[in-house]
Amino acid sequence: MNTRMSLYVLPAITTLTLLFSANCLAGKPLKVYTVNYPLAYFSERIGGEFVDVVFPAPADVDPAFWTPDEETIGGYQKADLIIINGAGYAKWTQKVSLPLMRQVNTSKSFKDEYISIETNVTHRHGPEGDHSHAGTAFTTWLDLSLASRQAEAIYKALSSKLTDQKSIVQKNFEALKTDLLHLDEQLQDLGDKKPALPLLGSHPIYQYLARGYGLNISMVMWEPDEDPGEQQWRNLQTFVEDHATSWMLWEDSPRPESVNRLEEMGIKSLVYSPCFNRPDEGDFLTVMQQNVDNLSIVFSGAD
Amino acid sequence: MDSLYLAWRYLSFYKVRSFILIGCITVIAALPLALEILVNESERQLSLRAESTPLLIGAKGSALDLVMNSLYFSDATPEPITMAAVDQILESDLASPIPLLIRYRTRTFPIVGTTLDYLDFRQLEIKNGNPFSLLGQCLVGAEIARQLDLGPGDHLTSSPEAMFDIAGVYPLKMRISGVLAETNSADDRAVFVDIRTAWIISGLGHGHTDLAKSTDESVILKREAGQVTANAKLMQYNEITEDNIDRFHLHGDPATFPITAVLALPHDEKSGTILQGRYLDQDSNYQIVTPAKVVDSLLANIFRIRNVLDAVILMVGTATLMALVLVFSLSLRLRSKEMETIFKIGSSRATISRLLGAEITIIGCLSGLLCLIIMLLLNHYDVELVRRLFI
Repeated sequence: MNTRMSLYVLPAITTLTLLFSANCLAGKPLKVYTVNYPLAYFSERIGGEFVDVVFPAPADVDPAFWTPDEETIGGYQKADLIIINGAGYAKWTQKVSLPLMRQVNTSKSFKDEYISIETNVTHRHGPEGDHSHAGTAFTTWLDLSLASRQAEAIYKALSSKLTDQKSIVQKNFEALKTDLLHLDEQLQDLGDKKPALPLLGSHPIYQYLARGYGLNISMVMWEPDEDPGEQQWRNLQTFVEDHATSWMLWEDSPRPESVNRLEEMGIKSLVYSPCFNRPDEGDFLTVMQQNVDNLSIVFSGAD
Repeated sequence: MDSLYLAWRYLSFYKVRSFILIGCITVIAALPLALEILVNESERQLSLRAESTPLLIGAKGSALDLVMNSLYFSDATPEPITMAAVDQILESDLASPIPLLIRYRTRTFPIVGTTLDYLDFRQLEIKNGNPFSLLGQCLVGAEIARQLDLGPGDHLTSSPEAMFDIAGVYPLKMRISGVLAETNSADDRAVFVDIRTAWIISGLGHGHTDLAKSTDESVILKREAGQVTANAKLMQYNEITEDNIDRFHLHGDPATFPITAVLALPHDEKSGTILQGRYLDQDSNYQIVTPAKVVDSLLANIFRIRNVLDAVILMVGTATLMALVLVFSLSLRLRSKEMETIFKIGSSRATISRLLGAEITIIGCLSGLLCLIIMLLLNHYDVELVRRLFI
């Protein structure tokens, strides 16, 4: 084999081996691992029957701060595609070895649009231990136009692997994009209604939602299932005196005690779920639609 | 037969002289043949690995150092480039990049900082254990495992770059996650780690107790709003475990961290050509090389050197053969009385010639046999010898 030929033939063989794993060649679905539920949902919608999507985080943890065990990491390492969110989401991916070539950073196309957060406050919830939200805001998918770009990154990765099913994959992606952009449109309309309306977020996860739809959301660091403590209540009281707000967005259903005390302060509660884990009922779209419906109550009442 | 017997008895009696003669002839015959075998095997090994590596990107400088370090893990380390080079290739969508940081050693073996893609690219199989999954884990080549009797769960410690640099980076104790199957290549004599583990070895990352929660004030240099500065007393972890992995962190932007080369696997011929064109700019800090071409030019030099060596061997061989002729003719003079005695007891001059011929034949046959044994041994161990001595 001459040098020129071998220069391309040998790597081509290697690349083919990498691209078309034994599973794919045998007609088995592509094994796709994701780091959160929205990406798992996008992959399932786009890949359909041609992909086997695995999102291994337990239902009761926040996947952003979860760390998989070695066996689960082994699953990620063997996957045909590893769909990551980027923007510093799932810091465990920086502490384990994952094949670079099989990783798809879904937010890479808009990395210049990441939002930086400066805080040195740490807190704890669930079994994951102390954590901080300092660095880069990562709930990118709450801006559904960004979510559609993340879905597009998944579509490109899947279509390069599922060459025989390219048209089906494209059709699936177009349908998902339409659904996402339809919700995006609804949120744009809401944001346009009253852009200055002050809102309160119970957790620092609504940065992309606020920026994407021109919402005025100030964020605290409360957990829906925990009493924030007297100091936090006093801080909120002081904050509200300067920034009149009548609605707080919660990532999950808050404790009735918190709801009642907030109402005494003139603040109503609504759930705007980031849907980072698989919902008990419905799917990503139904949860997002519910979020939009919940938010529209705020804006319809605000007129 | 009588001539052969007498010749054998004669050679046996003068053992030292016979051994020297046999040794000289064996060396003269074996040397060019051995050189041929070793050069051919070097060529095969160098070419095989180079041809399977499409493109290599590194800092401007010696292309040979870049190729030898990246493909055969040689000691000569090329100037570093940054991880941004990998990002550039990823963004170009022309090739798949595999970063390499080959600078550090454990004992005498090279530590290859890379990603798991390297295993796929070289089609390396894991004989025992698993690939490295957490920071601080490593995969060892088959020969290292055999030589040091290591297996999964054992540890290897990185060697400090400078022996007397007491203010240098702490060596990292790496847990072996698996052992690679034998490949008869440089990979057998290397330790593979994740690129970030290699950065931790280089001192760009480390792990220590949480300073914000530290109760030991003697390790704190100063406390400012939102920032705690530790002094040199702060103990750093020298091993990454599941318990302390969260305390390990890299300082700075990974895009600025060093690597020694990037293996670029073009998606197709056109992508490869476009990629090469992008590094032709004189102002670029990078060079892109085709390892096969660099190795071809190296082999051309080796062939030139071999031709010189062949000429030297030919001259030395001629001189030695002339010396041997001299030794024989002088020995005939010394043996003139012996020849005369043989003649007087009734042997013809032809018998005396046969006797001398038998001596030369026996010496020639024994040298040939010895030469054959050496060649067979060399042929058997040539892969190993070339890897140890030349590559």
